Amino acid sequence: MIKAENVSRWFGNIVAVSDISFSVGAVITELQGPNGAGKTTILQMAAGFLQPSNGSVRVRGQSPWRNSMLYRYTGLVPEREAIYPFLTGYEFVLLNARLHKLPDPREATNRAIRMVELEDAQHRATGGYSKGMKQRAKLAAALVHDPLLLLLDEPFNGVDPAQRLHMMGVLRDLAAAGRTIVFSSHILEDVERLADNVLVIVSGRLAASGDFHRIRRLMTDRPHTFVLRSSDNRRLAAALVETQSVKGVELIDGGLSVRASDFGAFTLAVSAIARESGVTLFEFVPADQSLESVFSYLVKR
Amino acid sequence: MNEEIFVLSLRQLLGKRRTFALIALALLPLLVALVVRTSDSSADPVDPLDNAMVNYGLIVTTLLPLVTLVLSTTSLGMEIEDGTIVYLLSKPLSRAHASTAKLAASWLPAGVLVALSASLSGSIALQGSGESTLLLAFVVSSALGALAYSALFLFLSLLTTRALIVGLIYVFIWEGLVTELFAGTRILSIRQYTLGVGDLLTESTKLDAHLDGLAALALMIAVTSAVVALAIRRLNRFESRSLF
Repeated sequence: MIKAENVSRWFGNIVAVSDISFSVGAVITELQGPNGAGKTTILQMAAGFLQPSNGSVRVRGQSPWRNSMLYRYTGLVPEREAIYPFLTGYEFVLLNARLHKLPDPREATNRAIRMVELEDAQHRATGGYSKGMKQRAKLAAALVHDPLLLLLDEPFNGVDPAQRLHMMGVLRDLAAAGRTIVFSSHILEDVERLADNVLVIVSGRLAASGDFHRIRRLMTDRPHTFVLRSSDNRRLAAALVETQSVKGVELIDGGLSVRASDFGAFTLAVSAIARESGVTLFEFVPADQSLESVFSYLVKR
Repeated sequence: MNEEIFVLSLRQLLGKRRTFALIALALLPLLVALVVRTSDSSADPVDPLDNAMVNYGLIVTTLLPLVTLVLSTTSLGMEIEDGTIVYLLSKPLSRAHASTAKLAASWLPAGVLVALSASLSGSIALQGSGESTLLLAFVVSSALGALAYSALFLFLSLLTTRALIVGLIYVFIWEGLVTELFAGTRILSIRQYTLGVGDLLTESTKLDAHLDGLAALALMIAVTSAVVALAIRRLNRFESRSLF
C-alpha cells in the first residue's frame, strides 16, 4: 500500500527524514519514536502534504504529491486538535462525506459515527467536545469514505484509557477487514498493544523495524543500569559480580552502579543476593528508564 | 466553485465577533453623511455632491480594504493557522474549486457590506439631487474593488502567516503613500482601479481617479485573474510542517 524508497526530507538546514525505505501492507503499522523524530513528516509525505526532498513515496503505486484523486483511498487523522467548533459532530462528518462526493453522504455519516460510537454527542457542537470526543469525530471523518489506507498521527494522545481501548478495537477491526493502518506514537506501550509491524524512527532515521515481539525484545534485552545503596556496598558488589545477568559493577559516591543484561531476571534476583550476603538494601533504582535511553540504545546498535 | 466549502466559509465568518465590528465600521460613512447633511448649512453651505464624494473616498480608501483584508485573512489564514484546512484539502476535488469557494465566501459579505455602505451613505448625502448613475457607479466599483482586494488578500494568506500585517502595509504604505507620491506606481493599486472604474461609470469629474477608466478596468481584471491563478497554484503545492 505504501512504499518508501530512500526518502529524505529536509527543511532548510534541518534534516527531518533521512534516507528511509520501508513498505507497508494491510496490517497495523506503528511509527514509533520520540518527539521530533520525523514520524509526522513521514505521514505527511504519505498524505501528499509534503514533497520528498529526495527518494520517493508511493501509495497504491502513485505519488501522493499533487495527486488529490488519491484521497479517495486515504483517510487522515491529523494530530492537530482543531475542528470547526460551530459544527456539530454529525455536520462535521457529513461535511467530509460531501467533500468526498459520496453517493449517500448521510448514510455514510451515520455508519462512521456508529463505528466510533459518537451517537450520543453527534448533535452537539464540537466546540464543547472533550479531547477524546474530538479524536473520535476526526476518526469518523477519516473513515466516512471507507478508505483503504488510514493514516493517524498520535491518535492516542490525550485520550482516556477506555476511549483508547475502544479506538484500538476500531483499528483492529479495520485491519481485519483488509485495511492498511499506519499510526504514529511516542508512547512505548502502544507497541505491544496494537501494532503488527513497528518502524522505530529516531532522528529521522529508521532505527529498527519488524514485528512487535522483535522490537520488544530489543528494548528489554538491552543492558540496564541500576543504582543501589546498601549497608555494605563493597560486599554487595562482590556478590553481584558473581551473578549471571550482571555485566558490570562500579562503586560510586555512597552506592553502586550496576549494569545488568536482563531487566526482569536481575530485578527478581537482587533482593535474594543481598539477603544471602547479609547486606541490607536501602535503595534500588533503575537509572535509565527514560524513553530517550531506549531509543538511543536502538540507534547505537 | 465547491459549494460545501463556500457555505462552510460563510458560516465561519458570520460566527466571528470581528464580522460585527466590520458591520459597525460600515455604518460610519452613513453617520458622517448624515451629520454633514443635517448640520447647519446657512453659514457654510455643503454641496451634496461634495458630501457624497468625500464619503465615497472614505469608503474606498479605508472601509473597502479593511473589510476585505479582515474577511479574507480570517477565511483562509485562520484555517491554515489552526490546521483545519487539511479537512478541505485531503479530498478528491480540485484545489481550484476550493480556492474559488474561499474567494466567493469572503467576497460576498465584503462586497455586500461595502456596496451597501456606499449606496446608503451616498443617497443620504445626495438626498434630493437624484444622481442615480452616481450611486450605481459607487455600488459597482466598490463591489468590483472588493473582489480584487479579496483575491489579493487570500493569496497573501497562502504566502505568509502575517498576511494581516502585510496587507495593512500594502493598503496604507503602498496605496496610501507611495502611489500618491509617485504617479507611475498607480498602475499597481487596487484603490486606483476602483476609483477608475467608478469614474468610467459616471461623468462626474469629482471622483479622484488617476487612471483612465477603461485602463483601470482592464488592469483590475488582469491583476485579479493573475492573483487568483497564483493562489490556485500555491494551494496546489500546499505544504505544511504543522498541519498534522
